[in-house]
Amino acid sequence: MKAQIVSALKRRRHGPVLTASKLLLASYILVAIAAPLIAPQNPYDPLQIYGWEASSPPGTRGSGGYLYLLGTDGLGRDIVSTILYGLRISLVVSIVSSALAALIGLTAGVSAAYFGKWVDIAIMRLVDLQLSLPTILIALIAIVTLGPGIDRIILALIIAQWATYARIARGVALSEANKPYMDAARLMRLPTSRIIFRHLLPNSIAPAVTLIPIEVGHAVALEATLSFLGLGVPIDKPSLGSAVANGFQYLLTGQYWISLFPGLALFGLIASINLVGEDVRRSLDPRNHSL
Amino acid sequence: MPLISVVLGRLSQAFLLLIAMSLIGFIGVHSVGNPVFNVVNIETATPEDIHAATIALGLDQPIWRQYLAFIGNVVSGNFGTSYIYHLPAFELVMSKLPATLELASIAMLIAAPLGTGLGLLAGRRSGTLFDRTMVKASVSALSIPSFWLAMMLILVGAILTGWFPSGGRGLTASFLGQEWSFLTGNGLWHMVLPALALAIPNIALIARLSRSGTIEVENLDFTRFCRAKGLSSRRILLRHTLPNISVPIVTIIGLQFGGMLAFAVVVETIFSWPGVGKLLIDSIQLLDRPVVMATLTFIAVAFVALNALVDLFYAVLDPRVRLSS
Repeated sequence: MKAQIVSALKRRRHGPVLTASKLLLASYILVAIAAPLIAPQNPYDPLQIYGWEASSPPGTRGSGGYLYLLGTDGLGRDIVSTILYGLRISLVVSIVSSALAALIGLTAGVSAAYFGKWVDIAIMRLVDLQLSLPTILIALIAIVTLGPGIDRIILALIIAQWATYARIARGVALSEANKPYMDAARLMRLPTSRIIFRHLLPNSIAPAVTLIPIEVGHAVALEATLSFLGLGVPIDKPSLGSAVANGFQYLLTGQYWISLFPGLALFGLIASINLVGEDVRRSLDPRNHSL
Repeated sequence: MPLISVVLGRLSQAFLLLIAMSLIGFIGVHSVGNPVFNVVNIETATPEDIHAATIALGLDQPIWRQYLAFIGNVVSGNFGTSYIYHLPAFELVMSKLPATLELASIAMLIAAPLGTGLGLLAGRRSGTLFDRTMVKASVSALSIPSFWLAMMLILVGAILTGWFPSGGRGLTASFLGQEWSFLTGNGLWHMVLPALALAIPNIALIARLSRSGTIEVENLDFTRFCRAKGLSSRRILLRHTLPNISVPIVTIIGLQFGGMLAFAVVVETIFSWPGVGKLLIDSIQLLDRPVVMATLTFIAVAFVALNALVDLFYAVLDPRVRLSS
């Protein structure tokens, strides 16, 4: 027994990689919030951009008097500022879409479990259909049908991600639906929407919610990929993915910094979200608490 | 349950899936814009023109008839004519298919043995430095967005060192009436970077799977017995462990091959590899709707078919699948 407790405690102790990724993720979120305060330049404001300083290598001193620490892109935008502002867009898009996808997926999954019969069949067939195809393909089909724009890309990400939540929530809700408190709620003749949203949903939410951080990581990568392909956010307000894409044509002529640094920032973001998300999921998973 | 009913069940499931997909596709296509305005000029058209175009496109028919016509067209591979190339859309997709297929095949030929081998070695020595490095490397390989990995391959392999070409298909040779790059040295040279870009995430995925399988099997009685019998550890690994972990690995290889068809979109665009994926992105940007529809349909159908094949293979390989269902 003692050995088991010790090993359980050991498992909970953080490795240096996890601590580092937690710090990294926290600083990402901080600089994304503080971007307008700390960015040397507002990359959306044409008055602050000097077109003739386009594609300056890292360390160039610009005519604004400040240093282009990581160089400028093909339009003369400071790479540091582009990364900071792009980070905001990437994070907002992926967090909003993951939260909405979780909400929709949970509601759909719980409704499927509660109503059963044809509602269940219809919803779960759709879920099976979606989960049998690669996410990138679903997102591509959605964005092709919806057209470009930030709101559309959020919608496409929701369409690509809701099914995972629905499947998990349905499984939990099925086992909750037969518990005595549900019978009590039904016997009290509470309205169906109240039973679903106030009783069944809160009790079925936990396993799906632990997925959200990991899904945010997926959403960041997916948004970046769509933007890279030119199907995501508009080009004048680049996310990290489109910042990488903007630099791609310059990469071939050796101007590596335009896409290398936004790409590194993106990689760090996805890796830290993945590692932290995996840790959140593991520490919230009740199976890991049994001693 | 006998094998034949498993096969029939799985095939009908795949069939239902395709019908559901076609319904969603049909609704999707018909909910965005009036296709009549692709045919007539919206500013100069008279009501008669619009009426004539509506009849010509069959939009005056009841909706279920339109759906049947749509299905008939899809089944016969008739997606209309490309607005840009003036070729039948489906033929265009098929003409790009060899390039995608050979790229995905080469990538899988790299990924499958390498991933399995790395996973076996790491799993057998679990906890050692090699194992921990492998696990960390595979986590980061799966975190790297595929487009950025491809760009870094170009940066390192083509621009900084100049070893490999940064894009294009190189010389091709004719075989079975199609052009293939893997038959010429120059073509193979062009394939190295894009194939690596497709292979690396799959190496990581397969290695993780085979590592966890190996750890599980190495603790079972029969491997302990083999060891007690004095068999060399290489023989145990290759003759006893490998067959026992092969079923999930074969499954993931099949599924990932389908996934590669979808991910080829990214890699082909970056390496300007003239395959199905690049065609899709180009057509989306040129608003070439028939080709977009044909390509997406093709990728989705290919993926569903591959999934079904893998499941059937599973049932053939593993008697437990047949018996449990």
